[in-house]
Amino acid sequence: MNTAAAASLESYRDSLARIQPQLTGASQPWLAQQRREAAASLQQLGFPQRRQEAWRYTSVDRLLQQAFVPAGNDLPEIDLDAFVLPQLDAHRAVFVNGRFVAGLSSLEALPAGVTVGSLKQQIERNPIVPAKWLGQAAGVPLHAFSAMNTAAIDDGLIIHVAQGRKLERPIEVLHLTTAPTDAVVAQSRNLLLLEAGAQATLIERFTSPDASLYFNNSLSEVILQDDAELEHIRLQEESPAAFHLHSLFINQYERSRYRNTGFALGGAWSRTELNIDFLGPAAAAELDGLYVTGDQQLTDTHIDICHSVPGCQSHTNYKGLLHGRGRAVFDGRIEVKPHASKTDAHLHNANLLLSRNAEVDTKPQLEIYADDVKCSHGTTVGQLDPAQLFYLRSRGIDAPEARRLLCLGFAGEILDRCRIAPLRERVRAAVAALLAQAATAVEGE
Amino acid sequence: MLNIDKLQASVDDKPILNGVDLKVDAGEVHAIMGPNGSGKSTLAHILAGRDGYTVTGGTVNFEGEDLLALAPEERARRGVFLALQYPVELPGVNNMVFMKTALNAVRAARGEAALDAVGFMKLVRERLGLLQMDERFLKRNVNAGFSGGEKKRNEILQMAVLEPKLAILDETDSGLDIDALRLVADGVNALRSPERAMIVVTHYQRLLDFIRPDFVHVLAGGRIVRSGDRTLALELEEKGYGWLEQEDAA
Repeated sequence: MNTAAAASLESYRDSLARIQPQLTGASQPWLAQQRREAAASLQQLGFPQRRQEAWRYTSVDRLLQQAFVPAGNDLPEIDLDAFVLPQLDAHRAVFVNGRFVAGLSSLEALPAGVTVGSLKQQIERNPIVPAKWLGQAAGVPLHAFSAMNTAAIDDGLIIHVAQGRKLERPIEVLHLTTAPTDAVVAQSRNLLLLEAGAQATLIERFTSPDASLYFNNSLSEVILQDDAELEHIRLQEESPAAFHLHSLFINQYERSRYRNTGFALGGAWSRTELNIDFLGPAAAAELDGLYVTGDQQLTDTHIDICHSVPGCQSHTNYKGLLHGRGRAVFDGRIEVKPHASKTDAHLHNANLLLSRNAEVDTKPQLEIYADDVKCSHGTTVGQLDPAQLFYLRSRGIDAPEARRLLCLGFAGEILDRCRIAPLRERVRAAVAALLAQAATAVEGE
Repeated sequence: MLNIDKLQASVDDKPILNGVDLKVDAGEVHAIMGPNGSGKSTLAHILAGRDGYTVTGGTVNFEGEDLLALAPEERARRGVFLALQYPVELPGVNNMVFMKTALNAVRAARGEAALDAVGFMKLVRERLGLLQMDERFLKRNVNAGFSGGEKKRNEILQMAVLEPKLAILDETDSGLDIDALRLVADGVNALRSPERAMIVVTHYQRLLDFIRPDFVHVLAGGRIVRSGDRTLALELEEKGYGWLEQEDAA
């Protein structure tokens, strides 16, 4: 391990040792033990190295050079109006630097049998659900960042939908992070439990009121019991200086359905890890994603889908638009275990490189140990088609506008997967703005 | 309107056009016929400004301007339109957005105000009616998953919306059965006007039964070897292109 990594590891460990006794539920043995074990594993895991396959294309050096301090309890003032989508009718929970802010949230209209709010408060008031489920889907930390998150479990989002309850309106969760003075690390820990037959739509937006430097190290556990359905839309628009890591662990029981549509637009360094485990037969997961990555940006997507029971479906489709000196990584893996017959698993990643200096490392993997399965995987990396460009120009459309239309067309397939119109149009506009910026940069060169 | 003078062009150093001369005036329909490889499509593409061709000699003047000096979008804005032999599919690009963007770019160049969604729909509905096409075309992505006939009709719809001064139809008949051909030809005929010139590039006489040209030119070996009226096309149909080559040799 290099010196920067060793120094960071020590400082994180020391700060964890300092804060652990002050955290919520420190006196609850189940939680204290999880935190202690995670802190202990931190030393053993060390920070990820490029020689590890899952980190081969993603260096954490830049992240470790920063001296992040844990986000404090004093939260900066937030002008919520800057973030609200007027057309979006939703229950809203707002977190600032990983902490729930009741004053900014509007959760009054939640129906009976539905809990949305602060994990911290839940642990203090009624820890039954957290005590049973926290750590179940995530398991033993895979890397130091997960260990750090677990070692400092304090606040974050909890959603609990009781058996058979169906939410009509979506739940919108704003994860705002800001570090006006010292660079902070915010670590929200999120737990979503949909009991049998429950249905919900969750929109998570990760953003910042400013361009500050911070590290958002989030971990989410999602448990979908029999026949539960969750539509999960993630919009990552972190500050341009931010580091963002979101590890998601999704456990799917019999016939449950999970749809995740992810948009990664912001941040200097961002990584999303989606781990899907099918624990009951006939469950289905649809994962769609779009990343737009430019100068000074690295966007990394890791998808790990484990088919260990028969008859489950997973359809993954990720697309990337890279401009400037943008770098992206896509690492998607499907594993079909013995006995997981009738598995239907497809994974595809397509990338459009808009400049010579953009780079993508894409690695779809398929490991099949069962018979009678339908599986495919593929990846493409290409440039705008000159024939398409000519066609648009021959109709009077100038070259920058032609490129913009083609890029939006490329992104459109994923955008259209988002069924929440105000959010979809918001993302479409954001993508268009990023492309316009990229085009201006090209002309300026 | 259009004056092509001794145009020479090559692809990858291979000469394709060896001195083409052609004059086209407003209101005229010219057919350019010729065997495969004679340079018909090359001529059409060069007029629209497609990459991949090197002009090695001659000039093309369009309404007093050097057409070859203009970018493809500038040519379109001045009123040059090429209906492609193989219309390109644009997945994810909505046909209506595409046509509205194109029309407003052309209108801006003509000094006309941009049309809003309502104004555009009014205009496009009227043109759809003229071409007997239905509105479903607008909701689809440009040419994506279109049949051969639908693609060609979509080209004609774009022409009807953009209202070019000079329309070049490159092998618009290729790949069409007789019913689709009749639909496309009816559309083209509906757009004939005293202000508009058309160049119809085709291998077969068949199209000219439906779109009656004022002039017929035969392109062979990169030059126009024969010009005449519609009877020339009929003669070609009867005798084949070999007839001209033999005559030339004689």
